[in-house]
Amino acid sequence: MWYSQTLEKQMKTLYKYLFLLVAVSLIACEKDDATTTDRTLYLRHKGADMPIWVRGNLASNKLVLFLHGGPGDCAMCYRHYLKGLENDVAVAYWDQRIAGSSSGKVDVKTLTYEQFGEDAYYVVKLLKEQYPNTQIYLVAHSFGVELAWQFLTTNDNQKLVSGLIAVNGTFSTYRWLVQMREWVLREARRQNNTAIEQYVQARPVTAENLGTYEWPELYKRMLDLDGNPVSIYDDKKFVINYLFASPNTALAQFSHPKAYSEYGETTIRGYDRSAFLKNIQIPVALFWGKKDGVVPIEIGYETRDLLTKTAPTFVTFDQSYHEPFISETDRFVAEVLKFVR
Amino acid sequence: MNMKHYTRTGLLLLAVFVALPGPEASAQQLRVAYFGETVTHYGLKVAYEYPLISRIKARNSARKEFLLTPGLAVYNHPDNHVGLILSPELAYQRTGRRGGTFEVGLSNSYFRYFLAGKTFEVDENGGFRRVKMAGRGAYLPTVSVGFGRDLSIRKNRSLAWYAKLNLMQQRPYNASTLMRFGIECGIRKPLKNK
Repeated sequence: MWYSQTLEKQMKTLYKYLFLLVAVSLIACEKDDATTTDRTLYLRHKGADMPIWVRGNLASNKLVLFLHGGPGDCAMCYRHYLKGLENDVAVAYWDQRIAGSSSGKVDVKTLTYEQFGEDAYYVVKLLKEQYPNTQIYLVAHSFGVELAWQFLTTNDNQKLVSGLIAVNGTFSTYRWLVQMREWVLREARRQNNTAIEQYVQARPVTAENLGTYEWPELYKRMLDLDGNPVSIYDDKKFVINYLFASPNTALAQFSHPKAYSEYGETTIRGYDRSAFLKNIQIPVALFWGKKDGVVPIEIGYETRDLLTKTAPTFVTFDQSYHEPFISETDRFVAEVLKFVR
Repeated sequence: MNMKHYTRTGLLLLAVFVALPGPEASAQQLRVAYFGETVTHYGLKVAYEYPLISRIKARNSARKEFLLTPGLAVYNHPDNHVGLILSPELAYQRTGRRGGTFEVGLSNSYFRYFLAGKTFEVDENGGFRRVKMAGRGAYLPTVSVGFGRDLSIRKNRSLAWYAKLNLMQQRPYNASTLMRFGIECGIRKPLKNK
């Protein structure tokens, strides 16, 4: 009843092919020469295996590290829009813990700003070791901006990088909610939406009620007023690329949100780096989608005013909402290159 | 991963396999199939099909079988990981009198993946330690449904083709679980011609 000789022979041949397939797949994952890079690195830290895909022009000796938003979003998925950078500079797409294609066995208790900042420190350190003569610039979007401020205002971390481009992201949850509420109130009046206007008027954001403020309700009303009508899933080319031609773990995006309930309930409310921004001395550019209701442009103005030891440049994208790299891709790429040059 | 659970299930299946009287070699089949998450996450699966119970219904000549199909699949998700899946699958298969087949299966699979990139672990001193063949193991309960055609029934060729969709849940994945899909398309060939 056991394997016949024929089966044994067939199985041996097939196992040889399987072994060959595994070996070839693992070996064929790196391409590097003097001018371009196509490497995949992984950082393993506190239970997380976080991919860092490095692509683009190495000869420039400049590397842009993209800090994605969310939390829980992905980096490599936005390569579709950021690829234009790769002709001139190298780009590192890092998926944060419990985000994008990151895997492992991760405790949700590690979803803190301190931990995200520590992860960023090791990502930058690893990139500096792998690319020793390369200047690193951060391009941070939304939650990635919060992460960037956390990283840059901790120890001497800002010395590790050559500059920051902050795209539609905040330095303080409290100031974010104050400005988002203002945006919602303004838009509700402009659109004659009295229901939302009355709802928001009855619920001011104060330092005292920050711990209990129902911010997801405010967020929902902001979206109802078209605070960010842009959806990447409307872009068919993006979706096809995402599903079939990118290294993303597509269905993982549905798995991540449940890990962030504690973050959304508690952790986010304690985030405030406003007192530390005055210590930033590296070059900073603030890129803002002018029509954004998620993180309104007023947060950009507040950020600029807090950065007293550097002279931030302010770039507005008049046709954009929360993701200017999606709605004004070419100009976004051009502005990033202008900054890093 | 619940390794104890996996081992217990594996031993139980092995015991059933050993205890049952063996079918004719012609009833045992080898399955070779394309296996991948999508067409771009390509791979290969090999399985051995062993009928545990086989009955032919007198009314319409349909054959109903419970199969044990232990298999091994390997696939490559480029720039992400290489996955190995060891699946001790139990399946129910119905073959109609015209040769059309339908099957559903359950498997307590074991998933081992290897990260497709150089992996560096932060060590105790804040430096990096290279981890070779980095990856992890996971429990992968799987439900599958498929169809196909047995060409031996009408065309007198001892060969069958089949296509299957595997719905797999990786446990653990980060702090929870991850659904994975696996497409399987291939052939079944008896170990000995009928």
